[in-house]
Amino acid sequence: MGWLSMSSSKHSRGFKGVLQEVLSYKSAVLGVLILVFLIVLSIYTIVTIPLPEAINAWRSSEMWTKNPRNAQPEWIEVFIGKRLPRTITVSLANAEVSRRLLGDGRIAASWVAYFNYDYDDFPSELIVFFNSSYSEKPVVDIYWLRPDGEEFLVKKHTLRRPDDRLYLSNDLGLELRLSGLFESKVGGKPNFMVTVEKGLFAEYSLDPRVLKGRYGIRFETILNENDVFDAELVVYGSVYGLAGTDHLRRPLIIGLLWGTPIAMSFGLTTAILTTVLNLIIGTVSGWYLGKVDTVIQRIVEINAILPFLPILILLTTFYKIDLVVILVSVIVLNIFSLGIKGTRILVMQIKSYPYIEAAQAYGASNGRLILFYVIPKILPPVVPGMISAVPGFVFLEAGLSYLGLGDPFLPTWGKIISDAQSNGAFYKGLYYWVLEPAFMLILTAIAFALIGMALEKIVNPKLKEL
Amino acid sequence: MSSDGKLLELEDLKKWFEIRRGFLSSKVYYVKAVDGVTFSLDEGKAVSLVGESGSGKTTLGKTIIRLYEPNGGRILFQGKDVTHIKANDLKWYRRMTGLVQQDPFGAFASHFTIFRSLEEPLLIHNAVESKEKRAERVFKVLEEVRLTPVEDFAYKYPHMLSGGQLQRVAIARAIILEPKLIIADEPVSMLDASVRIEILTLLRRLQERLRLSVIYITHDLATTRFFSEWALIMYAGHVMEKASTQEVLRNPLHPYTKALLTATPDPNPENRNRFKEVPPGEPPALVNPPICCRFSPRCPLAFDKCFKEEPPEFEATSGHWVKCWLYERS
Repeated sequence: MGWLSMSSSKHSRGFKGVLQEVLSYKSAVLGVLILVFLIVLSIYTIVTIPLPEAINAWRSSEMWTKNPRNAQPEWIEVFIGKRLPRTITVSLANAEVSRRLLGDGRIAASWVAYFNYDYDDFPSELIVFFNSSYSEKPVVDIYWLRPDGEEFLVKKHTLRRPDDRLYLSNDLGLELRLSGLFESKVGGKPNFMVTVEKGLFAEYSLDPRVLKGRYGIRFETILNENDVFDAELVVYGSVYGLAGTDHLRRPLIIGLLWGTPIAMSFGLTTAILTTVLNLIIGTVSGWYLGKVDTVIQRIVEINAILPFLPILILLTTFYKIDLVVILVSVIVLNIFSLGIKGTRILVMQIKSYPYIEAAQAYGASNGRLILFYVIPKILPPVVPGMISAVPGFVFLEAGLSYLGLGDPFLPTWGKIISDAQSNGAFYKGLYYWVLEPAFMLILTAIAFALIGMALEKIVNPKLKEL
Repeated sequence: MSSDGKLLELEDLKKWFEIRRGFLSSKVYYVKAVDGVTFSLDEGKAVSLVGESGSGKTTLGKTIIRLYEPNGGRILFQGKDVTHIKANDLKWYRRMTGLVQQDPFGAFASHFTIFRSLEEPLLIHNAVESKEKRAERVFKVLEEVRLTPVEDFAYKYPHMLSGGQLQRVAIARAIILEPKLIIADEPVSMLDASVRIEILTLLRRLQERLRLSVIYITHDLATTRFFSEWALIMYAGHVMEKASTQEVLRNPLHPYTKALLTATPDPNPENRNRFKEVPPGEPPALVNPPICCRFSPRCPLAFDKCFKEEPPEFEATSGHWVKCWLYERS
């Protein structure tokens, strides 16, 4: 009853007035700022990465072959205090080429390409991408040129197809050879396991230290007259962009960015629609009473004990899961939520007020009474409730994605967490993978919670004393 | 049907409320709040409905303006039967009648300005075509109830006004559709003593000027003299006595009316220690009341017949009706 009378003075202010009062709370200012940031981010995302493009990018594995796998975000350096390697692509475009005509019309050719490596950590992976055309499968000798002037044959490779790929990191034979080389240079067993990356990039010492400087790679092969040879060495780093990458080398930033408009629209749509529908049903129930009320109340009670998740799982086995199906089912399952009972009681209370009787005496219809006399009275507590309900639905969407009940095409925060979980992110120490989407979720929740709480204080001044 | 000058005629009007009890609501009881009321009201006249709490006077008022649907009897308004009218007819009847409630603070939607509250009836009945004319009408009624300067009051919210001012607005709202009949349900009982007389004077003046018929519901006999031509004394859903106000006050016939007059505070300080003889007891419960005189359990003059049979209305003197066996003419 308290807010019913106290809220009366609020109606005179209108939207501008309410906004002004909301902003008189510092916490709400923070909430509004975060919200504005999220909205700007959403708009930026939608404009710069159109949805089909985003879906395509998120589902394509080819697009990201030159990204490092499970790379941490670049800003992680701040905490580690080391310069972590970025990905370096060494192409033959600027290579020193030398060709020698052999007697039988074939050409012996060699390319040397240099690159600087001055990071404090070893690269995560090395792959050579070939791109050539030939009449006869060429044999390619790959030499490694270290900054200390040493040079050795890395691999003798016969191209299997024109766009062959040579996964140097996975080459066990190479690893063994490098390990042997290392032992002979150092004169003992080093204190670390000599992987391909370390074998190629480490100083010759017992401890793993990166040898910084100018590296080179040389390709030597014998080609036929019309053969074309091109290759590219990708030295994968261990950090990538603002958000890092996942197990499929996809930049997480795409998922994080696109998660924002999806989460916001899902949360707001469900919160607004369910609140409005609950409000209408509760009002009808409390106003007309009788049979209508009985039926509505029984539906609410049955709905309250229905297991929400199993029903959703059931639905997703029958229908193609996409965001709209999830949205509709979440709304349908929330139409008859328990909130209706509260609304109904309020309406019953308001119905007994003299001003309703007075309005009936001058001929106001039921529709008019509900719309102009009852609903404006119960809106004040409903609006903050609606705002506060948004994070719940955002979490629900994330939770459903996590359970594999999300839209499989859309990149969402829940999906990223789900991927992280199923690929053992914590086990591998890839905390960023979980923390980034979690941070976005929390940010959204905080924004709506702060605004909702401020609105609640305005509507119910008693809370101000707390 | 229409008789000359009669605005409202009630014929044996009944309003019973249903109560369901027992397993699956198998037992039905009735609260006989209004049980057979007959009277008529001339155009431009005022009648007082007097009775204590629970006597059914408010229910009668609400039944007359069809906030309740009667269970029996008839209501004739300008000769038309309005007992069970619906939809458009009912809407017309709503326009012909007005209501002033007891509680001025609860009578207005707190989210409407005074202007909007007064505009609502006009909007609902589409009474005035244009926005300008609606505003004109609103300002005019505010002037009628002496809330001037009108601009100062029109755009205020109800909580910014005092009880007396709000009751003036309530009266303005009741007359804005130019009705023929106003039900004033204890319009001053919640107001400060200082403003009561102002409100009653205002209501009386408007009634005379606009030739309104007013049904003034009250528990306060003292104000009826000032206000109305006719008085009806109600007790437990029955009209016990009806006559001109002067007659009822000077020459009360029914034992209940006499008791009521005795209970009225006496302003003479010399009488402050005089013991007032008031019948003991409470009014009967209205759930299935006994079929006899309803005042009989408390009546100091009751005799055998009073406990057996319900008395009809006897015309004791010309125009003075009493529902009491004492006035039976054998």
